[in-house]
Amino acid sequence: MAEAHQESGGSGSDFDLSQFYQIFFEEAGENLDQMEQMLLHLNLDTADDEELNGIFRCAHSIKGGAATFGFSDVAELTHKMESLLDKLRRHELKPTSAMVDVLLESADASRALLACHQAGTVGQGPATGELVRRIQAFVAGEVPPVPPTVTAPVVLQTAPALPVKSQTASPQATPEAASATAGAMRQLVIRLTKLQHPEQANAVMELFRDIPGLGEIKSLEAPDIAPDERVFDVNTSSSNEDLLDLFAFHVAREQVIIQDAALAANQAVAPAAVTAVDEPAGTGYGFFDGAPGAPQPHPAPTSSTAVAAGSSKPVAAPRASVASVPQPEAATIRVAISKVDQLINLVGELVITQAMLAQNSRLLDPAVYQQLLTGLSDLDRNTRDLQESVMSIRMIPMSIVFSRFPRMLRDLAGKLGKKVDFVTQGEATELDKGLVEKITDPLTHLVRNSCDHGIELPADRVRAGKPETGTITLSAAHQGGSIVIEVRDDGKGMSRQKILDKARERGMEVSDQLSDAEVWQLIFAPGFSTAEVVTDVSGRGVGMDVVKRNISSLNGTVDIESHEGLGMRVSVRLPLTLAIMDGMSVGVGNEVYILPLSSVVESFQVRSEAISTVGQDAQLVKVRDEYMPVIELEKVFQVPRFDSDKSSDMMVVIEADGSRVVLLVDELLGQQQVVVKNLETNYRKVPNVSGATILGDGKVALILDTGALVRRSRH
Amino acid sequence: MPVILTVDDSPSMRRMVSFTLTGAGYEVVEAVDGMDAFEKAQTRSFDLVLTDQNMPRLDGLGLTRKLREHPNFKTTPILMLTTESSDLMKQAGRSAGATGWLVKPFDPVRLIEVIKKVVK
Amino acid sequence: MKDAVQGEIRKEITSNRTSEYLTFRLGQEEYGIDILKVQEIRGYESPTRIANAPSFIKGVVNLRGTIVPIVDMRLKFNCKSANYDAFTVVIVLNLQHRIVGIVVDSVSDVMSLTVDQIRSAPDIESIIDSDSVIGLGALDNRMLILIDIEKLMSSSDMGLII
Repeated sequence: MAEAHQESGGSGSDFDLSQFYQIFFEEAGENLDQMEQMLLHLNLDTADDEELNGIFRCAHSIKGGAATFGFSDVAELTHKMESLLDKLRRHELKPTSAMVDVLLESADASRALLACHQAGTVGQGPATGELVRRIQAFVAGEVPPVPPTVTAPVVLQTAPALPVKSQTASPQATPEAASATAGAMRQLVIRLTKLQHPEQANAVMELFRDIPGLGEIKSLEAPDIAPDERVFDVNTSSSNEDLLDLFAFHVAREQVIIQDAALAANQAVAPAAVTAVDEPAGTGYGFFDGAPGAPQPHPAPTSSTAVAAGSSKPVAAPRASVASVPQPEAATIRVAISKVDQLINLVGELVITQAMLAQNSRLLDPAVYQQLLTGLSDLDRNTRDLQESVMSIRMIPMSIVFSRFPRMLRDLAGKLGKKVDFVTQGEATELDKGLVEKITDPLTHLVRNSCDHGIELPADRVRAGKPETGTITLSAAHQGGSIVIEVRDDGKGMSRQKILDKARERGMEVSDQLSDAEVWQLIFAPGFSTAEVVTDVSGRGVGMDVVKRNISSLNGTVDIESHEGLGMRVSVRLPLTLAIMDGMSVGVGNEVYILPLSSVVESFQVRSEAISTVGQDAQLVKVRDEYMPVIELEKVFQVPRFDSDKSSDMMVVIEADGSRVVLLVDELLGQQQVVVKNLETNYRKVPNVSGATILGDGKVALILDTGALVRRSRH
Repeated sequence: MPVILTVDDSPSMRRMVSFTLTGAGYEVVEAVDGMDAFEKAQTRSFDLVLTDQNMPRLDGLGLTRKLREHPNFKTTPILMLTTESSDLMKQAGRSAGATGWLVKPFDPVRLIEVIKKVVK
Repeated sequence: MKDAVQGEIRKEITSNRTSEYLTFRLGQEEYGIDILKVQEIRGYESPTRIANAPSFIKGVVNLRGTIVPIVDMRLKFNCKSANYDAFTVVIVLNLQHRIVGIVVDSVSDVMSLTVDQIRSAPDIESIIDSDSVIGLGALDNRMLILIDIEKLMSSSDMGLII
């Protein structure tokens, strides 16, 4: 295992540091996350000392670890970042948006480099020369020139204001990393390692001779070249990728290290700065003469007695006046998701077994079996508690989902020349981890949509009497048994007419009488897009229908509200599909159906005088002051009646999807915990049904989709 | 067995130092920052304190100063682990009362070599 | 043409590595399906009805914790009404995308067929659609209609797919 990493940044002969790599990668990842968050939140005008220190420490920590474990490219880059951050925290420099940009890009590059190290693909990471140059420019106090935009959006019609024009008003567009831009001549230092014979190096040199326009190559003498290595000075306009491909005829990719000439030059200097030779032994450590505890020429009896005296009686010293501070880190451990899922399955089985026991014990004489019944009741409670605890393991706050957006929006708004404020609400709202993963892509698309098509350019906004900076709000909240996530913007909203026109263009028959809500739903049709400019962001028309499908597959719904000129609101409603839920079982005919208890408001016996018939068949019932539609489950599920004595006598009020309806059933059978099983695994999606469960008697009962039932009543 | 307190807000660094030192026969106590280290110092003494510089809540120099005010730690060897050994850093370390310094990145062999000089 | 089809059958069989078939009866005919697709054979228990499903889909049952749909092949293909008693048999199939149980008239045995015992059957009139018919197996006096049960159950008119 030790042979895998040749990049020893000082690993001693007996020590294999690679066992610490994984921890370092995770730790560095967290530091990079934290750094990014802090950079995004940094208030440039009134930058907090603590914030600046915090960001500095993140870079410092990564640098220290990278240097210790031998990832010199990362150490180099983060060292540069650290020097800029050091000046900032000492207030020797004032933070600017351009500095934040370069630091964010450097964080990205560091991430990529670390990923390469983790994957073992060293030498394929991004070239960092450009970034280092820019950071150094800031450190030296230079103000950077406005870089030209490298990528222009693909224009289908003449679009107003391309990003380039509004350069001064908005954050800088990000220039491409050197390796991606073809066309510009670059100065590189290329090192070929582990050469099996010198012909390979010569062959590489010949490539430059034989291929016109490839560039110039010159052999370099360098002090630290191993016998099986060669170093070249190269001048070329080709990208690193192209060079690697070319060289692949003669040397494997892993053998090639391509570096920016400026960066390579710095490396010669940097190690000195980092591992400075120092007194007394010239080996990177030293002692202060006369300092307490410092080693004497002869072993000092005084120091050892002092130590002994100190350790004999640990004195309960009075606490120095320190303001009480919270614990450093909340104690956490990392657990593989598969283990958590396994745990949830096992708890699920436990719930079923416990239900069976409860069922089978119902007929026992309580007098005779008192202890057993008490035990079973305890078991019921324990199982319930266990279930709650286990389910909460998988619940994570929405803030995890939200956290990716500030950065994404900043970059996107910058690219589009727009000014956008991003507001979040309800970050603490919790969601099952499995759902989080599936909701992230659709949400990303919706947010991008708002930025791209919703929020107008600053000039347009001002003309419309709006503030220059638009706002996109992302919120999450629990409502009944669902979670509602909303994306709102104060942009230009959707144009009803444009959508109708587009629909007709695509051959859809749409009447002008459609309600607004119905018109908005049209955008979910595949291939639908009314964007005038197809940017690389969104608008290719692959978006909204996929969003809808993703959300439907989670048994959720998407609703749109829009007002032309004012803005738009997209609401995503998802059932909190817990594998185990509290259910209320109801009987209709000979069949048992389960309602999610969280949707049940109340129940009562039918009072015929409270029911009124509306229209052809629809019935309403008056509950206190409210009229609610009645849904007869017997009708919805076409339940056969064998026993003419039985009829639907009970009314159950349910609330879902923002409204209430009343279900008409025969009887209430009870409440129990049920394990939710997926019907679609072996069968298919059934209307009005959200899943199935296994009852105590081993039979399958269908779990009703209260949202669907409520929506059904709206037609 | 001598007990060493290692203070660093980086888990991977702490882990490495811990592993290295326990392998060499020392007992190691870890602290995540200066405050944590100082709290631990209230209830037990150490034969050596190894501390990183840049940490939240209380940094290395601050910790050194506080420890020197504590009767148990007036003469305990305190080594600063630092990424640079500028004159400024040395001066600050000396006036805070540190015993010496060790530049990061160091290799584990070096670490033990240095420790042997100050811990019996 | 015939050789080509024979070639197809040979390919089908050799690619399956085994030519073992579970045989069952549906109406007047005997059918054979790849034994590897059969998970188990159970008695019939009354499934939970699913509203608005086709009549030949009886509902779903609990098979040791898994929800499995039950398809009555007799209703689907034979058009007769079917009764359910202690002898009614369900073949539980473990297919690529699902586990499903099918109700048949009766299950016979497992038969091994060599290539020579299988003929093509392009024009066979069977109550199960000929799309799924792989060939005809002959052994002793029995004629087996060999069907690709995976293909049959995945066809849209079985109602198992949306």
